[in-house]
Order: sequence, then C-alpha cells, then structure tokens
Amino acid sequence: MPPSQLKQLKASLRDSGVLGPQQSKKQKKQNVKSGASAQNRNQREAALQAIRDRFNPFEVKATTKNVKFDYTSRDGGANASKTTARPGVTKSLGEERRRATLLREMDRRNKVGGILDRRFGENDPTMTPEERAAERFARESQKKARKESMFNLEDEDEGEFTLTHKGQSLTLDNEPQDDFEGFDDNDMGSQDGLSDSETARKRKRVFVEGEPVVDGAEGEELPERKKSKHEVMKEVIAKSKFHKAERQQIKEDDADLREELDKGLPDLFEMLRGVKPPPKPEPPKDDFSSMNPERAAVLEGISQQNHEKEYDQRLKQLTFDKRSQPTDRTKTAEEKIAEEAERLKKLEEDRVRRMRGEQPSESEDEEDEQSEDEEEDSDEESIPDDAKAFGLQQPTNETHTRPDMGVEDEDDFIIDDDLVETRSNASLEIGDSDIEGFEEESEEESEEEEEEDELINGLTFPDGRSGEASAPADSAQANEKLAYTYPCPEDHESFLHTIKDVPVIDLPTVVQRIRALHHPRLHSDNKRKLGRFAEVLVQHVSYMAEQHEHPPFAILENILRHIHSLAKSHPENVNMAFRARLRKLATERPLNLSPSDLVILTGIAAIFPTSDHFHAIVTPAHLCIARYLGQGAINSLSDFATGAYAASVFLQYQAISKRYMPEFINYVLNALYNLSPQEPKKPLGFFPIRKPEQSVALTTKSKKATPRKLRFWDVTGPESGKEEELKLSLLTTFLTLLSTASDLWTGQSAYTEIFEPAQAVLNHLRKSTTSSAPAIQVSLQSTLDKISSHLSSSRLSRRPLLLHNHKPLAIKTAIPKFEENFNPDKHYDPDRERAEASRLRAEYKRERKGAMRELRKDANFVAREQLREKKEKDAEYEKKYKRLVAEVQNEEGRAANEYEREKRARQGKS
Amino acid sequence: MPAATHAAVSSKKRKSAKDGSSSSKRRAVAADSNEDATMSKITELEIQISESRKHYNNIATLLSMLDVGENAQNPNLPVAVSLCRVFSRLIAAGNLTESSRADDNEKLIVAWLKERFQEYQKALVTIMREGDASAQVTALTLSMRLVGEQVTHIPSADSYVWSSGLFMNVFEAVIEAPEGQALQAEFIEKFVKVYEDVRFHTFTRISEYASTKRTTQTLETLITILSANDTIPTPSHEFSTFYTKTSASNKKLTSVNSHKKRAQDAWLAVLSNNLSQSQRKSLLRMMVHHIEPWFTRPELLMDFLTDSYDIGGATSLLALSGLFYLIREKNLDYPQFYTKLYSLLDADLLHSKHRSRFFRLMNTFLNSSHLPVSLVASFIKRLARLALNAPPPAIVAIIPWMYNLFKNHPTTTFMMHRANHDAEFKAELDAEGMDDPFDPDEPDPTRTDAIESSVWEIVTLQTHYHPNVAAIARIISEQFTKQAYNLEDFLDYTYQGMLQGELGTEDRPFKRVPVVEYHIPKRIFTDRGLEEDGGIDTAPGSLMRNLWDFT
Repeated sequence: MPPSQLKQLKASLRDSGVLGPQQSKKQKKQNVKSGASAQNRNQREAALQAIRDRFNPFEVKATTKNVKFDYTSRDGGANASKTTARPGVTKSLGEERRRATLLREMDRRNKVGGILDRRFGENDPTMTPEERAAERFARESQKKARKESMFNLEDEDEGEFTLTHKGQSLTLDNEPQDDFEGFDDNDMGSQDGLSDSETARKRKRVFVEGEPVVDGAEGEELPERKKSKHEVMKEVIAKSKFHKAERQQIKEDDADLREELDKGLPDLFEMLRGVKPPPKPEPPKDDFSSMNPERAAVLEGISQQNHEKEYDQRLKQLTFDKRSQPTDRTKTAEEKIAEEAERLKKLEEDRVRRMRGEQPSESEDEEDEQSEDEEEDSDEESIPDDAKAFGLQQPTNETHTRPDMGVEDEDDFIIDDDLVETRSNASLEIGDSDIEGFEEESEEESEEEEEEDELINGLTFPDGRSGEASAPADSAQANEKLAYTYPCPEDHESFLHTIKDVPVIDLPTVVQRIRALHHPRLHSDNKRKLGRFAEVLVQHVSYMAEQHEHPPFAILENILRHIHSLAKSHPENVNMAFRARLRKLATERPLNLSPSDLVILTGIAAIFPTSDHFHAIVTPAHLCIARYLGQGAINSLSDFATGAYAASVFLQYQAISKRYMPEFINYVLNALYNLSPQEPKKPLGFFPIRKPEQSVALTTKSKKATPRKLRFWDVTGPESGKEEELKLSLLTTFLTLLSTASDLWTGQSAYTEIFEPAQAVLNHLRKSTTSSAPAIQVSLQSTLDKISSHLSSSRLSRRPLLLHNHKPLAIKTAIPKFEENFNPDKHYDPDRERAEASRLRAEYKRERKGAMRELRKDANFVAREQLREKKEKDAEYEKKYKRLVAEVQNEEGRAANEYEREKRARQGKS
Repeated sequence: MPAATHAAVSSKKRKSAKDGSSSSKRRAVAADSNEDATMSKITELEIQISESRKHYNNIATLLSMLDVGENAQNPNLPVAVSLCRVFSRLIAAGNLTESSRADDNEKLIVAWLKERFQEYQKALVTIMREGDASAQVTALTLSMRLVGEQVTHIPSADSYVWSSGLFMNVFEAVIEAPEGQALQAEFIEKFVKVYEDVRFHTFTRISEYASTKRTTQTLETLITILSANDTIPTPSHEFSTFYTKTSASNKKLTSVNSHKKRAQDAWLAVLSNNLSQSQRKSLLRMMVHHIEPWFTRPELLMDFLTDSYDIGGATSLLALSGLFYLIREKNLDYPQFYTKLYSLLDADLLHSKHRSRFFRLMNTFLNSSHLPVSLVASFIKRLARLALNAPPPAIVAIIPWMYNLFKNHPTTTFMMHRANHDAEFKAELDAEGMDDPFDPDEPDPTRTDAIESSVWEIVTLQTHYHPNVAAIARIISEQFTKQAYNLEDFLDYTYQGMLQGELGTEDRPFKRVPVVEYHIPKRIFTDRGLEEDGGIDTAPGSLMRNLWDFT
C-alpha cells in the first residue's frame, strides 16, 4: 500500500531540501551576508514549484492517443515521455507569447508610427543580393534617363543620387577612356582622377579632400616638412596643367587613329558588299577624304545639316543592306570539300539507318499516334490480330479492288496477248549529236542546288553561265523554233496538248523552260503549279514509254532526272504520283508488265533510296516485281525478256542492302530450266516449275546464233527469225543475273540451300547444251565456277545456329515484398509522386489546423484583453463617479451641516 | 379381239377424226389469220372433252396440234397445257384406271386413253430434250404435274411412276437435255429442293443412273443436283413438304435414315464414276460440309478419299480434310499418315491456292504434343526449305506456325540454338565447316536427321525484301515470350492484299513524306558523261546499263 499523500509530500519536501534541520541564527546571518540565502530561496521556490506540479493532478494530462504497450512499438520507452502533456504550462506559455507580441501590437494600434523600408527588393526573399543590386542600378539609371526630358529645368547633377562603389560612380555615361585614365593616374602616383566627367571628378574630389593622405609619394614627403598653403596650391596647379597637356596629347592621338580608320571605311563598304571594286586610280590626295567626315565637314565648312543628311543616308544604307549583317566568312576550297564530304557522310548514315529499319527519332510520337489509331481500329474486333503487330493487314474491301483476272488459282496463269506488244523493234535513230544538246547542261553535279539549277539553267541564269551557254548549233536551231513560254500544265491532257507540235527531241527543252518560267521564287503559286507539273511528268514518262515510235531513252532519262530534281522540292506530289502509278500497275495488269511499267520501276530505282527497310514507294515496287516474277505470264520469249528485265531491276534495287527475294531465284531457275533443250530426269530443287504453253527451249537451230546484249525493246518480242538469238541472249543474261545474285547473297546463312538447286540447273544446262549452244559455254562455266566456289566457302563458314544467346528471362516472382523496418505510421507507397503528394497534403492539413487553432486562440486572447480593458475602464469610471458623488455629497453635507448649524443657531438665538 | 378393238378404236377415231378434222380445217384457216381463234378452239376442244366422252377424239386432235415431231424446238405450248389439264381431269376422274368390272368397251377406251397419255408423255419429254428454255421449263412443270396426279389418283402407280414411269423419263430428260441449264435449275429450285419426296426419288434415280459410266458433262449435272441439297436432315427431322399426298403415308419417305441412304447411294454412285480431275477437286472441296453428313456410313468414302489422296498435288491436299474427318469421326486407321503428309510438302505446295486450307489441317495434325520430336523437326526443316522459294504470303504463315511448334516441342529449339561444347567437334567445324545434316530426299519424316540441323533458311529470310516478312522472320531469334501465335491471323494473305495494304485504294496524305534519294544520278539508261568517269561505269544502276542495251 502506497503511503498517504501527506506522507509523500513530506518525503518529497525533505528530499528536495526544503525541509531540513533548523539552521542556527549564526548560520542564517552568515547566509544573508554571503547572499546564499537569496540563492537558497530561489532554489526553494523552484523545488516547491516542481513538487506542486507533481502533486497537482490537474496540471498533467494524458494525451488523447491510446497508449500502446511498450513492446508493440519499436521505440519502446522513448515514447513514454510523450504520453503526458501539461496543458496548463503550454497555455500559459502561449499566453505569455501573445502578451509579448499580440498585446503590444494591440496597444500600439492607431497610436505608434514606424519607418517603412521602401528600397527595392528589400524584403523580397527570392532575390539574391546581387540581383537586388543590379535591379536597383537599372532602376536608378532608368530614372535618370527619364529625367533627361526637355522640360527638366534642373541641373543634371542637382538632387541626384548616384550609386557608388567604393566612392566611384557607377553611372554609364562615363567615357570609356576613363578607365584607362584612371589606371594611368594610379600609375603616375596621382591620387586624383581628373576625368572629363564632371560628376566623377566632383565626387572624387570630395574624397580627396576628405582624406588627408592617400598616396605613398606624398606620404613620404609629409613628415619632412609641412608645405605652405601657397606651395601646395602651386603644386596642384602645375600638376593639373601637366595633366591637361597630357590629355590633349591623348585626344590628338585618338583623333589620328580614328582618321586612319576612317580612311579604310570605303574599302570596308566594298568588302561588305562582297564585290571587289576595280582598283580605282589613286584619287588626288585630299586631306579631307581621309578624314573623319565630321571633321572634314567642319573643316570644309559644309553645313551641319548636310553632314547629318549624309550620315542618315549611310545609316539607312547599312540597315537596309542585308549583306551588312555579319556573315560567316568565305570558306576555303578545302573547307568546302570537307563540308560537302561531311554532308554526304551524314546522308549516307541516314540511309544506312533507314536500311536497318531504324526510325528517325522525331517520328516516334507520330508512330505512337499511329499505334493508337490501330488500337482504335482493333477495338471493334474483340480478338487482337497477331498479324497486325507485324504491319500486316487484310484489305478491307477486297471485292471492288481485286480485279477479275480469271485466275483464282495461283497455279495457273493467264496469257493476255493483247497486253504484250508485238511490234517490231522499229528503232528511232537519234544521232548522238542530237542528244548532246541536253547532255551538255550538266557540268558539275556535286552540289544539290547547282544540280537543280543545272536542269533549268540557261533561262534562269542566262548571263551567269556564259561558259555553258555554248550549246551545239543543231540543238540551238531546234530551240529557235520553240516558243519561249509555255503554260504550266495542270493535268496530263493539257500537257499533251501543249507539246502536240513539239518534236520529242525538244521535250527536255520545253520541260526546262516550264520549270524556269514557273520558278517558285517568281510567284507564290508556282510551287503548287510545279508540284502538279511533277505529277504530270510522271504520267508523261509512262505515256511516252507506251508510244509506238519508241522515244529515245536519253529523253526518258532526262525527264526522269527532271522528276528527281522536282521530287526534292515537291516530294509529296512526286510520291503521290508514283504511288498512283504503282496502284494502277497493281490493279490493272500485275501479271503482264508493260514497257512503261518497267521504265517506271527503273525510275524508282534512280529516284528513291531502294535500300530502305521500309519505303512508301520502294516496298510496293518490290512487291510488284516479286508478284510479276512469281506469278506473271511466261508464255513467250517477250515474257521472258520482261522477266529478265524485272529481275535485273530487282538486283539493282538490292545492290546495296542485299536483301533476299525468293521470287527472283525461282524465276531465274525456272527460266533456265525452260530454256534448256532437254528436260531433266529428276527434280532439280524446291523451286516450283512453271511451263510456258509453247516451248521456248533452245533448238538445234541455235547452234549458229550468237548471244548479244539484250535490248530494252526485246520485251515486246523478238524480230522474226531471230528467236534463237534472243533465246541465247536471254540465257546469258539470266546467267549473269544468277552470278550477280550469287555475289550479292554470298554471306547469307542459307546460301547453300539457295544455290544448290542453281548449281544443279546449271550442270544440267551444261550437259544439255554442249552440242546445241557452244556460244554460251564460257559464261556458263564461269558462273558455275563462281557458284561452286561460293558454295564451298559457304560450307566452310557454316556453323550451327546460336540465335538465343539472350539473357534468360527472370521468372515472375509471386513472393510478397517485405519491408525491412516496417512502421505502420509510415506510408509505403511505391509510386513516388503519389507518396510525395499525399505527404504534402497531410502537411498542409496539419498546418492549416494549427494555424486555425492559433488564430482562434489569438481571437480569444484579443477578446479577453478587450474585455479586461473595458472592465478596467469601467472600474475607473465607477471609481471616478463614486469619488465625485462622494465629493458632492461631502459638500452638500457640509452645507447642510452649516445650514443646520445656522438654523440651530438662529433657533438658539431666537 | 385385238383386231376388233383396233377396228373399234380406229372407227371411233375415224369418226371423231372426221368431225374433228372438219372443224379443225375450219379452224386452221382461222388460226392462220388469228391466234386467238386457235386459243379459243383449244379451249373449246378442251371443254368438249370434259363435257362428254364422245369428244375424247379431241385429244388426238390436240396431240396432232402439239405435233412435237417437227417443231420440238418451238412447240405449241397452249396445246400442251390444255392437254395436261385434260389428262389431269381424266386421271382425277379415274378414267385412266381399268376397273376389273368394266366391260370391254370401257377397257377399250381406257387402253386407248392410256395410249394417248403415253403419247403425250413422250411428247413432253421430247420437248424437254429438244425445246428451247421456256418450253423445257413448261414441259417440266406439266410433266411433274402429271406425275403428281398419277401418284395421287392411281393407287398402284406410285412406285411405277417414280421408278420407271414418267418421272424416270423426266429425270433423264433433265439430265441429258443438251441446253438444259435453265431446265436443271428449274428442276432443282422448284422440285428437288422444295419437295422432300421428289428429292428422295431423285436420289434413287441418280444412284441408278450413275451406276453405269457416264460422260463428264452428265456427271457435272448430277453433281450440281446433288450438291444443291445442302440441308441435311437432322435425326429428329419431320418430313412434311411432299409433292404428292400419298407420300406422307409412305414409311420410307418419312424416315431420315432411308433419305440418307438414298443420298449416300447417289453420292457413291457418282463418286465411283469416272470423274475428271477438276470434278474430283471440287467434290473434295465440298466433301466435309456437303457430302459426308449425308453418309450414314462414311467409311464408304474411304476408297474415294484414299484414292484421291494418293493422286498427289492439289487433289491430295483437298482429300486431306475429308480423310481427317474420317480419322476423327470414324476412327479410320490410315497407315503412314504422317509419311504421306510429309510427302505432300513439295515445291508447289506453298504456291498452291489451297495453301491456307492445308495449313489449317496440318496445324491440327501437328498439334499433338505426343508426336516424336524427330518428326516435328522434319516438318519444320522441310517447310523452312520450302520457305526459301515461297511467296511472302506463305512465309508469313509458316513462321508463326514454326514458332508455335518450337514452343510446343522444346526439344526442337536446338534447331535455333545449338551450343557446342565438344572441343574436338569444334576444331573440326573450324577446319572444314559443315554440311546440313538434314536429308531432304528421305521420305520418312522420322529419319531425316532434321533435329540435328538448324533453320538457316529462316535466318536468311530475316533479310527478306519485304519489311513485314523480315520482321516476322525475326521472331525466331528473339525471346520466346509469347505463348502462341494465332495462326488464323496469318493465313489468307495474298500479293494483291499485301500490295493494297501498302498502297491503299486512294491517295491519302503521307504521315511521313518518303525520302528521296539525295544524289541525282548522272545516267539512268544512257552512257551520258561516261568519259568524265574514265569510261568505266560504276555509278548506281551500272548493273542495268551493263545488262541492257537502251537504244
């Protein structure tokens, strides 16, 4: 059982030494003397207070939070002290603080004034001292500038404050040479910067006068002898004279320098204009000409008016002259070459990147958009299409686009003889001299712009290129008959109408003139017009290739190069036109390519980078070729010639990127198979064999024939009686194609699989043609040798595949994630931002609550104080009132007494 | 007696012919002038017949008017129609049935009427065989009506009419009519597809008809008729739409099984006939959906299917689905099935238009996880070989399929990744390289050593000219994170579809403008400016210029 309260109190009093054994009087006296009693009293007070606090249960309050047992929390007993609060103490503390701040404010309200610091940015914590200083300086100079109005009657200096740094003015209007002068002054040991600027001098002088000694030189003299005032003044005067002379000298030097510069000004102007003036004869030596125009004007007596006019003119000239802007300096030839090489290198890098199928970085967001679109599309279907991930998509409306070709079965092939032109190869002879006219145009092709200009030159820069203007006479004659202006055609019909009477040879000239006449720099609408014109040209190329009288290829080439040049400035139009052309090809005659299709496909090889991984035009063109090679008609020699051409176009497409095309190898092997005189006894490989309706195999007649280079117009069929020659030529062409392809794909991992059938076919061919076609044996043997050597090297380099050297994927873990020092009070939000936000929100809430509580307490305090004041006032008033009443009563009483006394006296008397 | 009868008939005929001819003469004159008169005369004759027996001779008159012998091409249809009415009435009235109690005279008349009826039937069949399209159709309708009347009103005629009587003649006429497309279509649309009893008897007819060897043309017609019946009765099917009322009481006609039996017989008869190659293909194509459900004993199809399967090429591909149906449903044991399947993977497979159909089936066959790995590997390797010569739509289908197989048979992944730890072998490899261990000529898929090989072919296809194909080929060298590709999404592509996917159908603005080659070549076709380059053409496009002469 714990002891009673009283006993506890006694015990604690004894412990703290409040109660102790009685002290003797002597001791007490001693204590008083040494001041220990006061100390003791203080100690006693404190101890008593502590005991009081300990024994008053109302002073202590348990916190509202439920107290947890020690072992539940990690902090253990450390938290225990926090479980009690002392509201009385905190309350009194708050009261005290309020009394110190709020009460004083209240008292001072409407009574006490203060000083407001209105200096700029003084109480702005966001500004660094440097910023503050800079801002103040700017404001000050602004203010000063504002003062310089025409109505400012006051002197500049008067009433002005200037900012100083170590006594030096910070104003901007000091002339730059001040600095130098200042330094010079210091070097010369003078303490006074006698600058031209009035203000600075004044200020400095103040300092000079204020400081008794600054300089060492004078300081040394000083102890020797005190100079008289007169001497000092003399010295000062002499010094100032010396300085004056010196300044004069400097000024003159400056003027000389300026003059010299001015002398070079006309030269400078010429240089700025970029044109070398003819070396003028030395003008008669005139002092004025080499002088500052101002000075010259003054000296010559030209009126100030004139001089200013001249100055203005020059200024205007300078502002409107574009070349007066600073430009990069002219580059040397080496630099130019290096730059060009750099540019080409960059373009090549771009191309290689595209070849690898990497996307340019800036287009990423576009792709996101695209993928979003796709997602939207696929929303409609419930099942995601795996194939879509690879960019494959089924055509949505097959019915109206798929042409009825009569071949559902890809095994069968139609022959449409109408589409194959069987005209004889009536060639249109053009002498080289005829063509030279437009071949002459290009000299340097290194630079793009020049290239473009080259195609339209002669009209845009008739005078600039005199060297190239010497076109051969005959073409010039042809040109004379041509008109000089042509309308820019909006569609192909109008273009055909325009060139109705123009001989085909002059077509490039016409195109050139149209391009020159509608140069985009000449009219804002010309860009659009030329775009249309580019589309028309694409149509026209294929139109020309379809004509009966075969146009010379030089013309086609020229037009294609024009298209290429236009494609650089109008890529959209040209691309659209090519796509439209390919679409036409793909829907109308995918299995019977016409000569115009071949020309267009060749043009694509020249105009577009065919090595790209994906290209909006090249990829469909590839597909067109592949489809033709895979399924196209093979019923006549002309078909085979077309196929050979398509196959060569494909090889050209892949000359750089070296991609593989199964259709190519199928077609070539099939063609060789069909051309060989005998059928092999067993299948030669996995390539599908298609047979033409009438055999195209070599016959005994081909013994005498010799192979030649294939002509483009062989695609329309052989001349009568020369079938055997064409067969042999086709055979050699296919052999060349095969060997080129073998070179191209020699690094392929499946080279063996691709070319073993080829080897078999060639062996078969060699066996069967030894007697019938001795002419091709050489090329056959060389192709065979090449393929054999490639095959053996491919065998050597073959290794088992190692495709999956990936880092093994981690198995998805399902173990819950444990937190090491888990604290239930803490939030473990894995989302950093969200955690941060919630933390901020909680803090805000807490602060807000605290602020509200404080404000409420403040308001209470204020109300209490006001009430107290009022009470005091009331009490005072009451007191005063009472006093007055008492006074009055007193007086009244006295009067009454007197009256009584009087009355009594009168009564007494009476 | 027959002589007497003949005399009586002939006398009667003569008699009736007399007044008939007299009137017909008159009318004939009028007919020349006016067709309406003919019509009215026909009507009059018809009415007369129905009024009294006396006028039976009018039938002969009408028959002579019909006179198909000469103008079968363009017969007098109103006469035919009215004759049909006449005979229908007679049949309905029982005038064409001989009752045993009837006297000789009656019998004589009935016999005579029967003769006329036969004549009329013959005439109708002739019209069907030789007439023009509309006449054929009309004749068919009339004949079928007569069939109906006969079956309904002559109790004993039921089986006779259907099996060897008028219906047989009609059927044969329909099949053999030279210009009979419209007729056949009419027959199918109006009778066979509508009336279940007609269909039943048609099946019977077909099975009998096709039991002898027929020409391809005829078989084509038979197949058309048979395949028109694409709604197969369910076991609980109630037959209700009959052409003749008596059919409803016929047990055979109301049983599903007997219907199916007839159909089965008919199909079997057709299938065992000498079919042309294309017919065989088309039959195989509809085998699963249109033919097999008719069969109560599908195993009867086995011969046909195995024969077709052995033919090779596209026919084999088509037979596969039918065969698969039998294997699955009837537990057919096909020896060397996978060997046979493997042998179908030839050079033409991936170029065939039945490619996707085959792939679906092959996917099913190879779905089992219990297959030997060596077999699966052989299929993978073989298809990889074929893919080297395949069009892009086929490659697009093959590679996801391979992926699925790799995923299902992890042992086959050695074909993609074979780490070599044997130092000796490594040294040998470095010195001599290696050949493909795969033996493409081995017919047995379990012995090809494909599992020892690698799919180099697919690695080559990663550089395919078409970017999407290359992207798909690249999946085998990436991590196999996807469970399986849905093969259905990759089948059914075509060149046309891919081209359209690339080019679209109309001009749309580019999302990103395609790049243009930065360098304008000096020459495309000609040797322009060749001297400047030292006479040797190395610029882009030199290949073309070296190979081709552009003049």
